Amino acid sequence: MQITVEFFGIPRARAGVTRTMVEGGCLGEVLGCLVQRFPALAEQCIDGEHLRPGYTANLGGNCFVSDPTTPLNDGDTLLLLNLDAGG
Amino acid sequence: MAMHGDSIPGDSIPGYHGCYLRVDLTTGTSERVPLGREMLRDYLGGAGLGVAILQAEGAACVDALSAEAGIAFVFSPLVGSPLTTSAKFAVVCKSPLTDRINDSLASSGFAIAGKRTGCDAIVLVGRADVPSVLVIDEQEVRLEPAKEIWGTTNSEAQSRLKESLGSDFRIASIGPAGERLVRYATISHDGRHAGRGGSGAVLGSKNIKALAVRGTQTCDWADHDGLAEFAKRLSEKSFGPATAKYRELGTASNLLVFNRLNVLPTRNFQRGSFAGAATLSPEQLGTVRKRTRASCAACTIGCEHIYSLDKSDKSGGVRLEYENLFALGPLCEVEDPEIVLKSSQLCDELGIDTISAGGTIAFAMECAELGYLDADWLRFGDGPALLRALEEIATGTGLGPQLAQGSRRLAMEIGHDTIHFAPQVKGLEIPGYDPRGLQTMALGFAVGARGADHNRSGAYEVDFSEEVDRRNVGPEAAALAVETEDKAALMDSLILCKFLRGVFTDFYAEAAEMLRLVTGWDVSAEELQATAQRIVAAKKKFNIQAGWTPEEDTLPERMLRQPLEDDSQARLSSERLQGLIRAYNIARGWTPEGWLPD
Repeated sequence: MQITVEFFGIPRARAGVTRTMVEGGCLGEVLGCLVQRFPALAEQCIDGEHLRPGYTANLGGNCFVSDPTTPLNDGDTLLLLNLDAGG
Repeated sequence: MAMHGDSIPGDSIPGYHGCYLRVDLTTGTSERVPLGREMLRDYLGGAGLGVAILQAEGAACVDALSAEAGIAFVFSPLVGSPLTTSAKFAVVCKSPLTDRINDSLASSGFAIAGKRTGCDAIVLVGRADVPSVLVIDEQEVRLEPAKEIWGTTNSEAQSRLKESLGSDFRIASIGPAGERLVRYATISHDGRHAGRGGSGAVLGSKNIKALAVRGTQTCDWADHDGLAEFAKRLSEKSFGPATAKYRELGTASNLLVFNRLNVLPTRNFQRGSFAGAATLSPEQLGTVRKRTRASCAACTIGCEHIYSLDKSDKSGGVRLEYENLFALGPLCEVEDPEIVLKSSQLCDELGIDTISAGGTIAFAMECAELGYLDADWLRFGDGPALLRALEEIATGTGLGPQLAQGSRRLAMEIGHDTIHFAPQVKGLEIPGYDPRGLQTMALGFAVGARGADHNRSGAYEVDFSEEVDRRNVGPEAAALAVETEDKAALMDSLILCKFLRGVFTDFYAEAAEMLRLVTGWDVSAEELQATAQRIVAAKKKFNIQAGWTPEEDTLPERMLRQPLEDDSQARLSSERLQGLIRAYNIARGWTPEGWLPD
């Protein structure tokens, strides 16, 4: 399944792009693909198929998700961002 | 003028001096008032101790700008310790903007120098005869005339005072806005600000341009070695991933996230996204402007990101935070980065809270466009008009006197039900989190003791989690909102920077450990949880004494009647909000309406 991933904050700084397309049927698979494509994400944001503490993902601007088994559908958009929204 | 009447307090606890310095500006006297062990343990310092002191002073029941009103500069047991981010102080007073409790926190060498004058707080009452500077030099307290610096900007006033008094003095000053009693005037020091709620106007009403402090009296620590070890570990953790966002991008990096989630308040809260967001984002600004980093005193995080202005500027740049950016950019629909940076700099120099300034001007822009305000020059998206409005606020010209009252008072003056879209709670303008798309935050705003505030309630953390559906929040969110408010109350009283919160594994247990190391108290996590609740209740008690009623725990009608234009799912009804408020009050152990139990 084709998933669009948008990067914000530190994940964007590490990935070096604003968005990308990856294949994956669940959150963990997508995170695993991202680490392979953007190794710098492994430093702080992603540990294997899990998000590291301090980071979160959001599905399509709606719900926040972190469980690697969260199913994704073809055409979904996943936002990868810092958990801390304080300002 | 020298002030007389100092007395020496009794024995003190490690981390504390055991007294506050009370200065009566009318009579020209000062005294050191002992602080009991029970009061210190119950309220700790900062915001908590400040509320307790002001209650004892009877500050809730007098006009915020009257001579009788008190204003407290409160330090904490951790100030002066090796703990990172602990160089903070709270300015606590009755707000002239909300007529409710106000506690504004700031970080700088003023906290360390102020505590070294030998007191845990400095409380000012009365009014000086003429514009003055209050100088506290060790045990000596005196007033010096401020005629020469009255009317100057913050940086100029502080620079001239350091020149005349000595570079080792630390200065907290007001700008022209505070002198003119702008109800959201700030108190500034070393480029940092006690920003919200108008404490600068309270100082201005007392004819005090600045406080200058210098001292050598340090506190002892209960366990020096243990504290040094704890501080080292905390500093190491503060360099980790939990603070990377603040270090590398600053709070301004919220802008694109909030824009994507449609919770970036735009055009006076009519929309949740802004077409010009990318242009204003730190990611973009950093590519076209010089950016430098700085830290508050005694801080290892270094969240300050300073951006250069145009080539003609000699100031060294502008410190940019998310709240400045949102309030002076999207909220007013201004997308020119140069204008937003200049506006932010102007607010800093004139001594104006950026959130309230942006909120009030955005509201005035909407009123002007609707024909309710005679100002055809004031339009959304007009950058020069934004700059003009800020100048008029501080100089008292043109629309300035009206804008200086804040959006609530301005709406009451204009009429036409404009109060329904005045972006405020209890008179305090709403920060950059749209309540319709972040409904736990909506609850936090509605019940906040000092009005709509993201620093006293971190309820947005709940909305950014899997625990709630942020656009359809139920009563179960109330207990989570209480937790974030309690944590904030404790951090504001210890005092520690909230940007550290992500580095703690068990916040209350670790806070108890650091307090044990500093004071020697056998304090537990459970005791600190109870302390946090006590401090929140103390603020509520102050507000009740000041005239609080349940009806003021709400949001502007616009947010309860209209979904966001660009997100129809972001809809918050009055019924839902009232249900949340009721659940919050019950979770606090208060009556369902929010009164404290007998």
